[in-house]
Amino acid sequence: MLGTALLILIGLLALAVPVAAGLGVLGLALEWIYSKLPLNLALGEISWAASNNFLLVAIPFFVLLGEILLRSGIAERMYNSLVLWVPWLPGGLMHTNIAACAMFAATSGSSVATAATIGTVAMGEIRKRGYSERLFLGTIAAGGTLGILIPPSINMIVYGVLTDTSIPKLYLAGFIPGFILASLFSLTVLICCLLRPAWGGKRTSASWGQRARVLPDLIPPIVVFISVIGSIYTGWATATESAALGVIAALVIAAWRRSLTVSMLLRAFEGTMRTTAMIMAILIAAYFLNFVMSSIGLLSKVNDLIMGLRLTPGQLLFAVIVFYVILGMFMETLSMTVATVPIIAPIMFKAGYDPVWYGVLFVILTETAMITPPVGINLYVVQGLRKSGRITDVIIGALPFVLAMFAMLAIISILPNIALWLPQIAAK
Amino acid sequence: MEHVMTLARRVSRFSLWFSGALVLLAAVLIGIDVLLRKFFHTSIGGADELAGYALAIGTSWSLGAALLDRAHIRIDSLYGFFWRWLRLAFDFVGLVLFVGFFGLVAWRGWSVVQQSWVSSSRSHTALATPTIIPQAAWVLGLMILLAVAAALFVHAAVLIVRGDAGGAARTIGTRTAEEEVEEEVGFLKGRKSGGGVR
Repeated sequence: MLGTALLILIGLLALAVPVAAGLGVLGLALEWIYSKLPLNLALGEISWAASNNFLLVAIPFFVLLGEILLRSGIAERMYNSLVLWVPWLPGGLMHTNIAACAMFAATSGSSVATAATIGTVAMGEIRKRGYSERLFLGTIAAGGTLGILIPPSINMIVYGVLTDTSIPKLYLAGFIPGFILASLFSLTVLICCLLRPAWGGKRTSASWGQRARVLPDLIPPIVVFISVIGSIYTGWATATESAALGVIAALVIAAWRRSLTVSMLLRAFEGTMRTTAMIMAILIAAYFLNFVMSSIGLLSKVNDLIMGLRLTPGQLLFAVIVFYVILGMFMETLSMTVATVPIIAPIMFKAGYDPVWYGVLFVILTETAMITPPVGINLYVVQGLRKSGRITDVIIGALPFVLAMFAMLAIISILPNIALWLPQIAAK
Repeated sequence: MEHVMTLARRVSRFSLWFSGALVLLAAVLIGIDVLLRKFFHTSIGGADELAGYALAIGTSWSLGAALLDRAHIRIDSLYGFFWRWLRLAFDFVGLVLFVGFFGLVAWRGWSVVQQSWVSSSRSHTALATPTIIPQAAWVLGLMILLAVAAALFVHAAVLIVRGDAGGAARTIGTRTAEEEVEEEVGFLKGRKSGGGVR
């Protein structure tokens, strides 16, 4: 049963059937082969229930929020301000890239949006100051992935909904690992530039007066961040409500910057709903597939199979990490999440791993998948921002940061409290 | 055929705007609700329920537009190596399976609407919304998807019969990563050089 299911899934996806259709058709095929009951009669109810799930409403909100920040020039001003504040380390603006990504990540729930936004504003600086192009591109591709680790995070919402884990707790748990990972990225740049000083480019300097003058440009992202995250932890708002407050904050800021126009909003609507429809189509199909898989007993079979291997929790964790690193090379991350989390997460929970901790680990694995070739969406995004050159440059440039992510996986496995400490003290 | 495609594009663009407006409206409604609750200890009531409907209706109305813009994710690691006509064959298979699955969703969804009509059911909330209203709007979106998909299918088939494989690939093929990113970048650069924003 398990073999058949895997074969059908891999076959459908390899033939480039849309992921949503692949998952849905797999569900129908499994029903046809293994079920005596007409499970698809429930498809209407399941789809309707998934479609109006209040937790998932946060997804279009965060996409819309990002669209507004991008289209109103708020992100660009933030970067230009950070340029004057961060670049005194060896590696100069490459640290700015990482800092800007981390800061934008605190307003954005998506890694692609983070890389595309910061990449667009940063790209002009490579040649100007003689940086190693590859490493510079790598900072953007890798820095962008922080978008889903530092809250808010669309991927954490999807994980939370799939595994019934508290989204506010996941957000809290992502903070410290996000900050550490950003520091590890900076450290990677620092080491590279100490080994090869020529990669580091010319350093810039700025007077304190200049710095003070651009400080107000950092305020808008901070306001959005406080609206979204602050409102959750003061208990004013739930995860979805906080996303709505973020949208309103972004609208107010855009209006204040005089960039809130009807045509800007319509463009933002188009981008938002295209992305939302794509995500929701996959989620609807995944809900149906999960319903079929548990009805025909597939989930418990996988469970028995893995339990039968009698792995220690440590071995299990290692196997899961290796599995995702390899799968992440070939699979798009959202599809990977909905196809595997409902099966693997319960096994990890049964082995004694905390759902919140595993959520953070899973998000870091997802980030790795975004910058490992051949399928790594952030690699494509950064390559697309360049006028010329081969994608190999981006792949090589991102490689040192993959190592940094491995280090992060090791750190969080050895010291789980890095993720769990904030949610624990918040619970008290 | 061109007229039909132009119409399909116009309808999907309008659907995207309508859906986006619904989502924005939901965000504003929820935002006001949170502030009222915090500062005036009162509530509009039912904002969360309405936001759920906005997501359901917004999603179904946008599915067709996402199909036209080829925004539904397809994994092209292997597909990229295929021979052109084989790729086109799989484009058709993918389209048919996508429409087949969501056609079934629409069909079963229609039963849900009928059920609500027969039992005149209302949501178990303060609003007690007759569930048939949001459900009917939701199913209508799925039907728009089916209409758009049918137009797309015929259009691509016509292109192939005319021998325009390239045109067909641009209609139903995968958006190569480059193409996808080009659009994003094209917009950002347009905004930057346009300069009117700042």
